Amino acid sequence: MSAVSSSSSERGTSERIETPLVPAAVHEKVMAEAERIKAWGEAAERVARDEVNQPTINNWLEAMGVDNPRFKAGEAPPSMAQVWTMYGLGGKPADDDPLHSMMRALTDAGFTAVLGTNCEQSYDRYLRVGERVRVTTALDSVVGPKATGMGVGYFVTSRNTWYVGEERVATMLFRVLKFIPKGAS
Amino acid sequence: MTSPITAGDKLPEWTLPITPTLVVSTAIATRDFQDVHHDRDIAQAAGSKDIFVNILTSTALCERYVTDWAGPDVQIQGIAIRLGAPAYPYDTFTFTGEVTSVEDGVATIKVVGAVSLGEHVIGTVKVAA
Repeated sequence: MSAVSSSSSERGTSERIETPLVPAAVHEKVMAEAERIKAWGEAAERVARDEVNQPTINNWLEAMGVDNPRFKAGEAPPSMAQVWTMYGLGGKPADDDPLHSMMRALTDAGFTAVLGTNCEQSYDRYLRVGERVRVTTALDSVVGPKATGMGVGYFVTSRNTWYVGEERVATMLFRVLKFIPKGAS
Repeated sequence: MTSPITAGDKLPEWTLPITPTLVVSTAIATRDFQDVHHDRDIAQAAGSKDIFVNILTSTALCERYVTDWAGPDVQIQGIAIRLGAPAYPYDTFTFTGEVTSVEDGVATIKVVGAVSLGEHVIGTVKVAA
């Protein structure tokens, strides 16, 4: 997916007239909300429903087609770090969750559609059966407006940090495009 | 793999048929219950062609691809992915990869998981080397 950062139009003359992608008042409101939420830092901490456990690992191994003896001997696949703190069926983010607060603000501003664009996970170590992780969420950045192939929108990046006790075990940057679908207005 | 990881090493191509069962079982195994990953009617009403593979699975398949090549003892330090074309049932993943650098004890492997619509996932996987 490519993005361009500005748009221009030509109206009968060779003079290029810059037209804002988003009304200035809307942009200012979006960026003010971003600053407000970023200031929360690591927020909305939640604890995994279950400890890292073998049955959940086994379900993942079967679905992914993975057969690694390490994951039958006490270690968990590294990319499962995120799995342990998923909301589950019917679960919802807390009202003070930075990512969802920012998404809500953009939805309210008319950027109703969402598309995941990047996910960057780092693992300090592999988790072990019996550990219970907790995760925090912070709003990392809001960048835009951008005119993309999907429509005009903002890139919202959140940062999750997983801990066992006080030890950081994994982090994730997750970026979505919140946009007004092309053709809608 | 028994020899040390070296820049320029190419991973063998890996193909994986994308069945509805793959899409649904991996979504649920990653505890992702978003309806677009298991309910075709809802996915289509939302403008999608069909249900589609979730992001946790795109990451997990990069993990599997690199681990299958490097061996079970490999220590994966990070997986960064960029998402492109959606992965729908009845399509096929074709994974390719290459070691782009080995520096300071870390090998960086570029992985591409393509579908018929183009590149679904472009991954950068870092492993201890």
